[in-house]
Amino acid sequence: MAADSLINWGLLSLNAPGWGGVLLQGFFNSIQIAVGGFTLGLALGIGGAFGKLYGGPVLRDLLECYTTVVRAVPELVLILLLYYAGTDLLNQVLALFAIGPVDISGLMAGIFVIGVVQGAYSTEVLRGAIKAVPAGQIEAARAYGMSPTKVLRRITLPAMLPYAIPGLSNLWLIATKDTALLAVVGFSELTLVTRQAAGTTKAYLLFFLAAGALYLALTLVSNVFIGMLERHARRGFAVQR
Amino acid sequence: MKKALKVLAVATAIAVSGGVAASAEALKVGVAAEPYPPFTAPDASGKWEGWEVEFMNAMCAEAKLECVLTPVAWDGIIPALTSKKIDMIISSMSITDERLKTIDFSDKYYNTPTGIIGTKGVDIKPTPEGLNGKALGVQVSTVHQAYAAKHFAPAGVDVKEYQTQDEANNDLAAGRLDAVQADAIALKAFLATDQGKECCDYKGDVAEDVAVIGPGVGVGLRKGETELKDKVNTAIKAIRDNGTYDTFSKKYFDFDIYGD
Repeated sequence: MAADSLINWGLLSLNAPGWGGVLLQGFFNSIQIAVGGFTLGLALGIGGAFGKLYGGPVLRDLLECYTTVVRAVPELVLILLLYYAGTDLLNQVLALFAIGPVDISGLMAGIFVIGVVQGAYSTEVLRGAIKAVPAGQIEAARAYGMSPTKVLRRITLPAMLPYAIPGLSNLWLIATKDTALLAVVGFSELTLVTRQAAGTTKAYLLFFLAAGALYLALTLVSNVFIGMLERHARRGFAVQR
Repeated sequence: MKKALKVLAVATAIAVSGGVAASAEALKVGVAAEPYPPFTAPDASGKWEGWEVEFMNAMCAEAKLECVLTPVAWDGIIPALTSKKIDMIISSMSITDERLKTIDFSDKYYNTPTGIIGTKGVDIKPTPEGLNGKALGVQVSTVHQAYAAKHFAPAGVDVKEYQTQDEANNDLAAGRLDAVQADAIALKAFLATDQGKECCDYKGDVAEDVAVIGPGVGVGLRKGETELKDKVNTAIKAIRDNGTYDTFSKKYFDFDIYGD
């Protein structure tokens, strides 16, 4: 059985001495960060897009700075900056108010950094999508006497969705992979536990392939949901070939 | 506004209670988040084990401290200590003058020679001349990196830095390096693996340089926490005296790892 000696599948079993359980736990942590970061990013993006489109000059300039700076600095640098320098700064500020030190966990730091980065990109994606909504629809809504929030909820957000989904789904897939960057601060997400498992067992090929398969599975499942969402958002549109 | 104030008050209360609770609760002991056998390595259930984990348990039990092992990236382990993400470093960190500028150390708890391993059959000596023109791997921000930068790099040795010891060892096995410098015990543990047996052998210890390599490995502590430092030092002495240290060390080593 040459194949058996080449790859020891037993190492992937869920219970010790297999590393499958550790890998899945890391995978779960990665998904948590991706979901949290993407959600935060979406919230920042919606706020940012509307601020850029309808805000005053000061707000617009501030948002311009945010999207430019965040998109210019590598995520890796931002993560290191926030995780080490950010915590230190936060604690010094809190100490001024005589509040004890807080600990930013790897999970919170990860969600925050990926959220801030995603927020900058999704601001631009959503801004483009909102501008693609025919102005007449929004005018018509105003003519009916809808309040700005009602216009947002009933017209702008649903109408821009078909234009935003391709960009946002890209961002989601990027978010799932950006979680790997958290490995540098020692947070036990999928990439770090894979490296530990591979380093300890020396079965590099097996574990990195397994990690790759998990990331791929996440993308494939995501694609199914994105497809469903897109079909729903585009209902009533002429079918494009 | 009222609501916002309420939220702020609750958040403050949580932060304060969290801060107070943390000081009375367990101490977080930072260990490099990488396999570094036989000192610290995760097992298949994600639990950390090795000589240093046993040392931590014995020392903390003796000092009546509650310690929780917390994996941190090696190259960020000192910032993690100073920014209070962890309270102690027990991760084979050598006591050096350079590090003493930023953090404090307990007394040493082990001391082992620094050695060099290299590809089998290649003529390498652990001296600047013996390594001339060769590629030498070291782990980043270790005493070995400092030593190689001081003694080997000026003598025409191509010093390459790696994030983890494991990566340096792998590149040696893969043939991208001619030699690796590290702690002699960690290297011998690597040579005992199948991969290590096949590719490499021990070339010898490097010449002493206490100024760079330091007097041994100590528990890393924040500056100014003398109370904790005293507790740790007393506990190290106690487990040395009452034989606990020798008992768990025998499981891993057939010599006295404490050095002299």
